[in-house]
Amino acid sequence: MTAVDYINLLISSLLLAGIYAAMAVGMTVIYGVMKIVNLAHAGFLMLGAYFAYELFDRFHLHPMLCAALALPVFFVFGMAVHWLLVRWLPKSDTPTLASLLLMFGFWQVLQNIGNLVWGTQAYSILTPLTISSVRWGEISVPKVSLVVFAAAAASLVLLRFVFNYSWFGRSMRSLIQNPYAAQIVGVDDRRTAMLSFGLGTAFAGFAGALLATLFPFTPDFGASFQLRAFVIIVLGGLESVSGVALGALILALLETFSINLPFPWYSHGWTKVYLPASYQPAVSFVLLVVALLVLPRGVAGLLERKWRTA
Amino acid sequence: MKNLSQLRAALCRLVALVIVTGALGVVPAAAQGASSGDAITVGVVMPITGREAKPGQYQKEGIELAIKQINDAGGIMVKDKGKKLLIKEVFYDDGSDSAKSAALAERVMSSDNATAVIGGYSTALGEAESVMPDRYQTPWLTAGAAATSIFSRGYKYTFGVLSPIKLLGVTTAEFLGSLVDQGKLKKGLKIALVVENTDHGVDYVNGIQEWIKAHPGYFEVVLSEKFELGGTDFSGLLQKVKTSRADIFLSDAHLQDYITMQRQYLQAGLHHQVISYGARGPESDARKALGAGTDYILAALWWSDKLPYAQAQKFITDYKAMYNRGPDSWYAATAYDAMRILAQSIEAAGTLKKDKIRDQLAKAQLKGSLLPGQVLSFGPNGQAGYPFLVVQNKPGDKTDIVYPKDAATGAAVAPIP
Repeated sequence: MTAVDYINLLISSLLLAGIYAAMAVGMTVIYGVMKIVNLAHAGFLMLGAYFAYELFDRFHLHPMLCAALALPVFFVFGMAVHWLLVRWLPKSDTPTLASLLLMFGFWQVLQNIGNLVWGTQAYSILTPLTISSVRWGEISVPKVSLVVFAAAAASLVLLRFVFNYSWFGRSMRSLIQNPYAAQIVGVDDRRTAMLSFGLGTAFAGFAGALLATLFPFTPDFGASFQLRAFVIIVLGGLESVSGVALGALILALLETFSINLPFPWYSHGWTKVYLPASYQPAVSFVLLVVALLVLPRGVAGLLERKWRTA
Repeated sequence: MKNLSQLRAALCRLVALVIVTGALGVVPAAAQGASSGDAITVGVVMPITGREAKPGQYQKEGIELAIKQINDAGGIMVKDKGKKLLIKEVFYDDGSDSAKSAALAERVMSSDNATAVIGGYSTALGEAESVMPDRYQTPWLTAGAAATSIFSRGYKYTFGVLSPIKLLGVTTAEFLGSLVDQGKLKKGLKIALVVENTDHGVDYVNGIQEWIKAHPGYFEVVLSEKFELGGTDFSGLLQKVKTSRADIFLSDAHLQDYITMQRQYLQAGLHHQVISYGARGPESDARKALGAGTDYILAALWWSDKLPYAQAQKFITDYKAMYNRGPDSWYAATAYDAMRILAQSIEAAGTLKKDKIRDQLAKAQLKGSLLPGQVLSFGPNGQAGYPFLVVQNKPGDKTDIVYPKDAATGAAVAPIP
């Protein structure tokens, strides 16, 4: 491998990390405030993809505008889902079986609705950007991935801004840190939970719309991304937006480099071997197990602890 | 207590929602198998939801077209009943899930007591179903699974309408060799092989390697990698392809993986003298998703709508009349012939006894078949063995048969401009 190959790999990883972060952040917001592992996240991603497709196909809107429009629409949709189903769940400091079953069931409902409305045909959004790339000599960057990365990064910055500088963000953070203390000082936990669920759903819809510009999609779309979202939020520390970005970066780097870098292997003497590409999905599983065992508070938690110790 | 009743209310609402949406999705499929009377029950287990939904739907359509034509002609003459019987289809959607596919094949053979079953698109689902036919001594035909492993276990009731995947690999390599002989490609070009991690992919690689070994000096394989079905990101793998500095990119992938990988291939700025995704290439979904990005892709297929046979053209006309669109790639044609050879075997058996039908299938010859060679028959292992066609996508949504020469409708473009 040449230096250019390494640069190409690094660029691929960064772009992938942007996509991963965008699709995982909605799950983090909902888990952080409500301690619900949102198994319907994949369903929201799928609906986001179809939402973008319909606007693109019927009204010829730019796919990025479709993604931006997904934010308010899915925010309202998320609040409606909360009002209809989620608010009835018993409150808990830890994820409950009831919440897991409810969200899993809702995901199945969304998939069935997808099947009824759009059928099983694979849809995709094709624009002039889809198959073009920016090239500097041997270095190649897909234009659409670059745009998606920029949109994902902007959404994370926006979310961070909301978290840090708005009343709603401060309410959310206080509920994440200590729900009882938050209620004592006047935070309306029900209202904040509903808004948080709306926000998490909005980001899932937004990410789904972005992903639709990169991948073909069917009503089953989102399941493999959901698994990665789990890994990312566990790595990131479950309740932290910056942790999500960090988790996404680690996962993307490992997935990309693990099959491209040789590692030493002993078999009748030391040799260099490559991890077969078919093992790439296993990287996420291994990472999930390692993170749960070694870093239960995620990488962000570890860094925070080091920072405090220092 | 209050929380518990609230939760119960929420769950009730969810269950109602599941029932409403589930019922809307399931009822039409179940209703199709609800007919009764003196008829021949043929089970059909295909994926019309999930990852393999599209090809599964096309195969179902091919089978149903054949059933309609047979029933419109009065049905199948069954000697020991002394009359013609109509075919009654019992259809189940396996949702592209292997375990469900096997369970449904078992159900249709046992509970529904089907006379024969057609199922098993794709290799993974076909493998799961293939353990049932001998257990229930029910003839089972697959028009969508062709991995050698299914037909090398000594099963007696298992029949495959598709030629072996290994032959697909051999034909692809043989065609590339013919391009070298014609001077279109240079000798000694390097090949990157990237295949799905299934028996389908393994057979394809074995076919390619076998031909290369028998024809030294033509090509050299510099990369051989596998990937998981239903992958979302192939950028790392494609970077490996780039690093291998190969001249030819050969993959073996199912439809969705083909679309995703080719999209990322183009985005990564890759270019090879020849590209192929095994048996995928001219599908309309891929053309819609990638536009000109699918131009010049080669595919080795079991059937093409460009075949100049009269019966193939009639099939296309009938298919269009029934579904208001033409058949997409080869999927419907192989399924159509699976149903026809089954009907012919039932008639030849003159009975609905499954062992007799099995014996007739083993020696059946479907003359006037849509498939290359125009005769469909099964080898001693139960699998058909007719030659493959190589097609190439051309600009303007055109597809030409480019190999073998006697069926060619256009010349191969190589290297890719």
